Amino acid sequence: MGPSSTAIFLVLRRMRAPLIVLISLFAVSILGLTLMPGVDAEGKPWHMDPFEAFYFMSYTATTIGFGEIPHPFTTAQRAWVIVSIYLSVVAWAYAIGSVLALLQDRGFKEALSLQRFERRVRGLREPFLILAGFGQAGQVVARSLDLTDHRLVVLDVEPARIEALDLAAFRSDVPGLAADASNPLELRRAGLESSTCEGVIALTNDDQANLAIAMTAGLLRPDLPVVCRTLEDGLVERMRAFGQPMIVDPFNLFGDGLMLAVRAPQTARLVTWLTSDSGTKLPAPMTIPRRGRWVVCGYGRFGGHLAADLRRYGMPVTVIDPRAQPNADMEFISGDATDPDVLVQARLSDAVALAAASDNDISNLSVLAEAQRANPDLFLVGRQNDPANAPLFEALQVESMLVPTQLVAHEVLARIGDATVWRFVQEAQKQDDAWSTELLDRITATTGEVLSDRWTVDLDEHGAPALLDHVRTGRVQVGALLHDPQDRDRSLGVVLLAIMRRDQVLLAPPDDEPLAENDRLLLIGEPQDRRALDTVLSVPAAAEYVLSGRRIGQSWVWRTLVDR
Amino acid sequence: MNFEKVVFGFFVVLAATLNFGFFLGPIDNPSVHNAGELFAAVVVNLIALVMKFGDRTQIGAVHLATSLVASLQLVAAAGLWSYYNHLVDGAPLSPEQISSVVSLSGGALLANIISVTLLVVETVSFRRQ
Repeated sequence: MGPSSTAIFLVLRRMRAPLIVLISLFAVSILGLTLMPGVDAEGKPWHMDPFEAFYFMSYTATTIGFGEIPHPFTTAQRAWVIVSIYLSVVAWAYAIGSVLALLQDRGFKEALSLQRFERRVRGLREPFLILAGFGQAGQVVARSLDLTDHRLVVLDVEPARIEALDLAAFRSDVPGLAADASNPLELRRAGLESSTCEGVIALTNDDQANLAIAMTAGLLRPDLPVVCRTLEDGLVERMRAFGQPMIVDPFNLFGDGLMLAVRAPQTARLVTWLTSDSGTKLPAPMTIPRRGRWVVCGYGRFGGHLAADLRRYGMPVTVIDPRAQPNADMEFISGDATDPDVLVQARLSDAVALAAASDNDISNLSVLAEAQRANPDLFLVGRQNDPANAPLFEALQVESMLVPTQLVAHEVLARIGDATVWRFVQEAQKQDDAWSTELLDRITATTGEVLSDRWTVDLDEHGAPALLDHVRTGRVQVGALLHDPQDRDRSLGVVLLAIMRRDQVLLAPPDDEPLAENDRLLLIGEPQDRRALDTVLSVPAAAEYVLSGRRIGQSWVWRTLVDR
Repeated sequence: MNFEKVVFGFFVVLAATLNFGFFLGPIDNPSVHNAGELFAAVVVNLIALVMKFGDRTQIGAVHLATSLVASLQLVAAAGLWSYYNHLVDGAPLSPEQISSVVSLSGGALLANIISVTLLVVETVSFRRQ
């Protein structure tokens, strides 16, 4: 018997006393009725038998009250009926009260919801992901994964957040449980050991809990991908001890993104755009200064990462922090950046950029406002800790915002949502601006400035049955494939982003690149063009027409008669 | 001494003894099978049944099953008795009628004996810690 049958045992256990009381009082009443002297219709002495007494008690105790059946009662019988009525009222009140109290009982409710959760998890027939932590980042991730047809199971310690799940209007049914995901038992309840579980995402606010989740998943299911959020460098190594979790550290990510934007702004723009949700508009290019002095206010975890990254790119850095440690590599000013006298020492007039990197939104805002007043040309980087303050940062028109929850969500989706896009991004990040500008122009010219769907096609028996024979000849080129199966002179509105060939990634291959069997194509385009391409991949006649221009019969009869 | 165990044991044994008392005697002689005793056996068996609710051990499950069988058979016997009693008002039951009632209660007695055996086995196998 599993823990899920707890609820029924709880009911039985709690109902023991009321049921015994009910049976006993009924027995006493029935016994009394059979003993009381009565008279029948002819006035002869008569006693109720137990059956008649039970019948009478049943309709009296349930307040139906048919009257004195089968013969009018004597005074002795009526006296006993008075006693029985009061006894039965007490018994029923006790029994019904116990049931109602049980329904309100916290333990009983938890047992019920746990039972329902386990049933729903067992009922998941499709592959699903376990999401631990339904905070801000978790909610963004859940919504996007739901939109891209991933099934989810959600765990969070806060019962209120799990209750909010019901209101979140997901497209699919998302089972949620208020439980501590760092407890291995709860993770197993959430289906960690199920054969259809395809990954674990640890996004709780507690780094130690995330470590525990990565550990549990790494030990119980070493084959599963695990994505884990952390803010502490020290935990990264400990997480790596258990399998190969993908670690998402928002401070590192932001620094990497900023440095990519310094090195190749168009590449950064391309990468950011392609890893967004479908329907996102092409972001404006970031006008980040490529040389000059940076002022970093706050030398905590984020400030430290940022200053180190900037130094690696050879940019002079001035750090303002009350607990600054002098370092030969950077200029340090000891003091509070919100103090105008301290900020003046940083010589904002000849700096190019300022980052407000403390963990306090109010001081970040005041530093940013002050810096904007002192030097309107400064490139401003702000760290927003609380999403509630987003409108304030927007009003200041900060060029680059670090919002940890958004960044984490974006990264998790890029990694778990589609592994092919992730591989493409890893390679694309190494490219220079000229390459990115050209690809961006091709994408926007074909599909517009609103991001279309990205999908993959495998050139094998399942992915492209109609095309496989042509591909095996080695003469099918990329440019020839992407044409309309109705009219091969018209190109499809589809851009081939990359070909994954074994370990290689061929980025934005030229039109004359020949395709090979088992290639995986990463494409971007509108849904109708995707359907047209699917036709080419699966209907032999369409493939023949698009590749060679020959129209052949689609049915066996026609092919036998005409194409002989 | 655990008071709960005393009450539990009391009802299990009383259910069996009342049942036995009703069953005792020639099967076709209505005068040796007391209707009041049958009534008491039904009530005590129902109480014993409810007392066995909510025990999740293996032996608890078998306890519950035996009580369920005994209660069902006794309720059937009582129902049959009431039915025969009302076929002809006031007349005593014929030997055929009373023997079918008593044989039902005999089945219940078997279940009750199993129940008591379980109780004894449980007690004997219990060692003081």
